[in-house]
Order: sequence, then C-alpha cells, then structure tokens
Amino acid sequence: MSDRFDAGFEDKATDVPVRHAGSRARVLKTLTGIFSAKPDKSAIRIRLAAWVFLAVYGIIAAKLIDFGLRPDPPQSIKRAAADAVAAARPDILDRNGEILATDVKVMSVFAEPRRIIDKDEAVELLTAVLPDVDARELRERLGSRKGFVWVKRAITPKQQQEVYRLGLPGVGFLAENKRVYPNGPVAAHVLGFASLDGIGMSGLEKYIDGQGLAELHGAGFNLTPENLTPITTSLDLKVTYAVRDELAKSIVKFKAKAGAAAILDVNTGEVVAMASLPDFDPNTPPDPRDLEYINRLSVDVYEMGSTFKAISVAMALDLGKVNLRSRIDARESIRYVHFTIHDFHATHRMLSVPEVFTYSSNIGAARMALMAGVEAHKAFLYKMGQLSRLRTELPESAEPLVPKNWGELNTMTIAFGQGLNVAPLQAMMAVGALANGGFLVTPTFLKRDEEDAKKDAPRVIKPETSESLRYLMRLNAEIGTAKIANIQGYFVGGKTGTADKIIHGHYSKDKVFTTFMAILPSDKPKYLFLTLLDEPQGLPETGGYHTAAYNAGSVAGKIIERTGPLLGLPPRPDLPTQPFPLLAKLGYAEANQPAKGGGEH
Amino acid sequence: MVRILNILAIAALIGSAIYAYTIKYDTIFHAETIVKLQHEIKREQDTIGMLRAEWAHLTRPERIQALADKFLDLQVVALNQIVRADSLPGKAPRVDAIGRKLEALGLGEPTNTPGSGSIIDPAASSTPAR
Repeated sequence: MSDRFDAGFEDKATDVPVRHAGSRARVLKTLTGIFSAKPDKSAIRIRLAAWVFLAVYGIIAAKLIDFGLRPDPPQSIKRAAADAVAAARPDILDRNGEILATDVKVMSVFAEPRRIIDKDEAVELLTAVLPDVDARELRERLGSRKGFVWVKRAITPKQQQEVYRLGLPGVGFLAENKRVYPNGPVAAHVLGFASLDGIGMSGLEKYIDGQGLAELHGAGFNLTPENLTPITTSLDLKVTYAVRDELAKSIVKFKAKAGAAAILDVNTGEVVAMASLPDFDPNTPPDPRDLEYINRLSVDVYEMGSTFKAISVAMALDLGKVNLRSRIDARESIRYVHFTIHDFHATHRMLSVPEVFTYSSNIGAARMALMAGVEAHKAFLYKMGQLSRLRTELPESAEPLVPKNWGELNTMTIAFGQGLNVAPLQAMMAVGALANGGFLVTPTFLKRDEEDAKKDAPRVIKPETSESLRYLMRLNAEIGTAKIANIQGYFVGGKTGTADKIIHGHYSKDKVFTTFMAILPSDKPKYLFLTLLDEPQGLPETGGYHTAAYNAGSVAGKIIERTGPLLGLPPRPDLPTQPFPLLAKLGYAEANQPAKGGGEH
Repeated sequence: MVRILNILAIAALIGSAIYAYTIKYDTIFHAETIVKLQHEIKREQDTIGMLRAEWAHLTRPERIQALADKFLDLQVVALNQIVRADSLPGKAPRVDAIGRKLEALGLGEPTNTPGSGSIIDPAASSTPAR
C-alpha cells in the first residue's frame, strides 16, 4: 500500500512544471534546484526528500514510544477487572468425593464512572433494577475517580437481563467465580469460608491459599477450576451430618449453651467428622470476630475434666509406678494447704487401679500423679502434646493455658483434669495415642493413610500401657460411668469427664462442662469419639444430674449407634474372645473376661 | 508458443492465488470454529460445575433426611439388623415341594396316561375307549 502511495507522490512532484520568478536570486536558485528536472540539480532535492522522510519516520517512532509508555485507558479497565474478579479456587471434596465447596460462574455488574454520562440517572435506574443496592453509597462510588467499580456482585440471570435493557453506557457485566458450599453449615468450621474476591478467610480455605494458590493468582496465572486439583479432606459428609444432627438434638434436649463432637481415626489421625455448635453457614459468613461461632474443638481451650484421668493413669502405668493390681488409698480426701480434693462418687476405701478409673476417683488420680512427681508429670504431658499449641491444617488454633508456677497442687488437680486448659482436639490426639498402641499421631483434616501417619508419629507409651488403657476404658463402659454409651455390637470403651466451670474465679457447682471420649472397637481401636457440652442442664429423666454420663455420654452413644454402620464398622453379635492378648500374657487373665455387676458406679 | 506459455503461467498464477486464498479462508474459518468450540466447551464446563453444585445441594443429607422422614414409611435401621453375609444360615437342601405334596396325597405313583396306561394298570382299561 505505502509503496504505491509513495510512487504516486513522487510522480506528482516530478511532473509539476515549475516556472517561478523570484525576487531573490538565492531563493530562486534553491527552488529551481528543488523543482528542476536536470540531473545535476537533483542532489539537493534528494537530500530534502531524505530529511522529510527521516522527520516523518522520527515522528512515527516517537509516537510509538509514547504509546508504549503511556498506559492506555481500555487496557487499564481490563486489568482492574482481572484484579477485581474473584479468583478460581479448587473444589473441596469429602473422603468419598462428595462436594463440600465448589466454584460456580456468576455474572457481576460493574461500572466505569468516567464513561457514565449522567451519574444520577444511572444510580436511579440501577437501584430500580437492583433493589438491594444502596443508592447513596452507589452514587458515592460512581462519583469517585476510579476507572472501575463494582455495582453488584453475583446477580441473577433475570437481573442481568434487566440491567442490560437499561442500555447504560459505562455499565457492563463480568463473569466471576462464586464460592458455594452446597451443604450449608455442615463441616463449616473445617471448611471456613472464602470472601467474595475468592480469598480464603478461615479454615481450610485459608490453608489452601497458604499452600501457594494466592501466589499463583498474584503472579497472574490464569487459573480455572478445571486446572486446579481438588482438595480431598478427611471428612465424611454423611457422618459429619449425622454427628451434627445428633449434637443439635441433644443441645436442645439438655438446654446446653454450646456443644461439639468429633470422630478421629486413631490410626491415621484423620478427623472423620467434626461439628461445633452454634455454627454458621459459610455461604453467608458471620463476622469473624464473633466468638459465638468459633470452633470449640480447636480454637477454644477447656479443662477437660475426668477424661484427663486416662492420661494420668497411662502415665503411672507407663512409668511403672503402678500396675493393674496396685491399690490406691482413696479412704480420705486429700488436704493440701486450704484445698481439699474429694471424690464425686466417694468410696472411702482402698481402690485398685481399674476401680480408680471406673469410679472416676479424683483422689486416686491425684495420688497416681504424685507418685510420678511434678517434673515427670510435666514431661509426660509435654510428650503427649498437651502443653504446646497443636497445629493442624486449620489456621485457627489455641495455646493451652498452662499454670505458670506448677507445683504439687497443680499436678494433683491436672491429674483429674482441672487446672490445665487444652483444646479438645489436642486431648483427642493424646487419648488417640493411648488407644492406638502408643503412637502420637497429629490430627489432620486431609486424607491420609496409616503408613503416612505413623511415619513421623513418635511412640509415646508402651504397647502394654496402651492395651491396659483400652481394657480400662472397656471396663468403664461395661460397669463404670460410661455404661450409657455401651452400644451392643461395637465393644465400646469410654471415659466421662465433668469439669466444674470457673465463674468469677471460683469453681461453680451448677455450671459444668461435660466431655465424653469413646473408643471402638476396644480390642482393635479404629475410631475415637468425643462429645462435649457446655453447661448442660439436669433433666427429670436423668434424675436432675448434669454430669457427663447422662448428657455427653448419651450423645456419644447415639452418635456411635448412628454412624457406626456409616463408618463401615460391622456390628459384632458376639464379644471378642481374646480382646487383650498382651494383658493375658502379663498375667491379667481377668481382662479377657466380660466384667459383671459393679453396681451403680 | 510463448503465448501459450504465458497463458499457462497466468492460469497457474490465478490457480495458485485461488488455492492460497482458499487455504487462507479455510484457516480463518477453522480458527473461528476453534474459538467458538472453545467458548462452547467453557460454557459447558461452567454448566457442569453449576449442575454439580446443584446436585450436591439437592442431595445434601439434611434435605434427603427431611424428605425421607416425610415420604418414606421406614424405620431407622437398628444395629441388630446388620449381619455379616457369612453369618446368614446356609442354603437349605433343595426340596421338591410340589412332589412332596403329591406324595402326601397319595398321587406319587406314575399316572396312567391313556394308551400306555393299559400296560401298567389293567384297571385303567375299564374306561371305555373312544
């Protein structure tokens, strides 16, 4: 094209006949030099043409550089939009591949204030179509000098049609990813939620961002849901739902303030189900500062009460201070300065170690901890992960409240679960280690197999101690305080815990925090169940008692009954004949006989 | 001769030009088809994502339980209703119930069909032949 044009120009220049009569000879000479057709005069003409072309190309080059350096307006709109559009996030699946969180495409309305002609009219029309947009605030945003503002995120197709029909210049649509949680509040505390911009705000959503997703987005990678690998969690959706359902029913029944329940696979450390009530719907997340909705299992710390006795007994057994036939003096309450430790189910006699466990004797637990000594007690609890913050994939965690000056009195009270506040999930980890043969497996919310879990799980107690604890928990479910959760066919073992709550610096008598831990099956444990209720009330049918056996225990029983088949555990019609072979080898043949009687304890 | 060659050359030129343009337009057409298909794929993928989310929402346990409570006349499964396959009773020996019944009625003996019956049971021959 340009060739032809240049040629034409040249033709024109040469064809024009020049007959000028100038006043000044030099001007005339130059002009004749330019327009003359004589070859000897053409040098000056060529030079001039060269200069003209040079100048033209110079201008073009300068302009190009100018364009290159100046950010042009349509480009910046696009970039602002790309920054503003919610980023794609990987799907979150449960252990069976059910969707817990996914992205869907939605349309959002945006505006370019600079291109809107009549802003007041635009505000009026837009608010007429989108009634939940605040007119004053929208006017303010449109009045700003920004190139790009959102009018409303995630509108319905009908609203999109209506906005489109308004035909406003400077108002457009963008497809965005919106995070949806199809199951609503089920597993909400584990999932957390993502903001409208696709940034994880809590729970696993935040964990995913921490794993490099945010960096990828920041670096400008165009990630779509198709090229992101889904995250498979350890949760089982159906089990989690069942746990939450039973928990919700019991909170209503016992008029409790709050409650939580979880199921932990003791061999892999996987949290199979977790529910903490009150909870929230991640589709409409609450204010994250509202403490009402925290995950009570991992973000709050509690005095776990008698469930801690399992740890104390395990310590005494593991350190060889007692064996299963030892007798502990529980005749008198322990007096220490002006504190008195007494038993809830007082027996006033010598108790064997299994009796200390089944009667849930505070005195017995305190005496056993004293046998080990303060330092050994501290070291053991540290080894069991009870004195340091437990870190899982969930970004929210709580530091245990450890007494600053840890004396004999602290050791005695901590032995029966008062005076040391830990996150319930942390206590589950320890009891899981007592049950699974002695490996401290860190809980996880992602799918994991046993080999992976045991690879870096330290052995914290001997296998015999673990088996003794399983025997004690089984005994407790047969004749002790955990009878209510002894579901036939699952060989359940359990331990109750009732801690008096501290109100205004004093232990309250009528406000309690009850916990229940159950392992099943006790001979070859697979799952650990935890339920806890905050301030449950006594009911007429429980005889007005508000201790764990009546409330947290009954919830645990219901949960076990309902989720056992879901977890793939077949109920066994007969009791196992030789559930505790190691104990039998050590000479405790009675451990393999089903316990009878025991009366009302 | 030269003229024929010229004509051939021109024809070849036109031919190759037409061919080149055909390829060019084909390429453009295919490129556009690809873009269109890509958009369609994207749209389908988005729809699949949306439907998956919807499916998950509609099959959430909470809803299924409410529906089951409302429309199904079933009880919650009890643990003693679950047994292992090998604890089921073994298969009973094959019994010919009809044969036993016949035997009990005294009809176990071979029947005397007309024609052959006369050989087995002479009494049957008393029926008048037709």
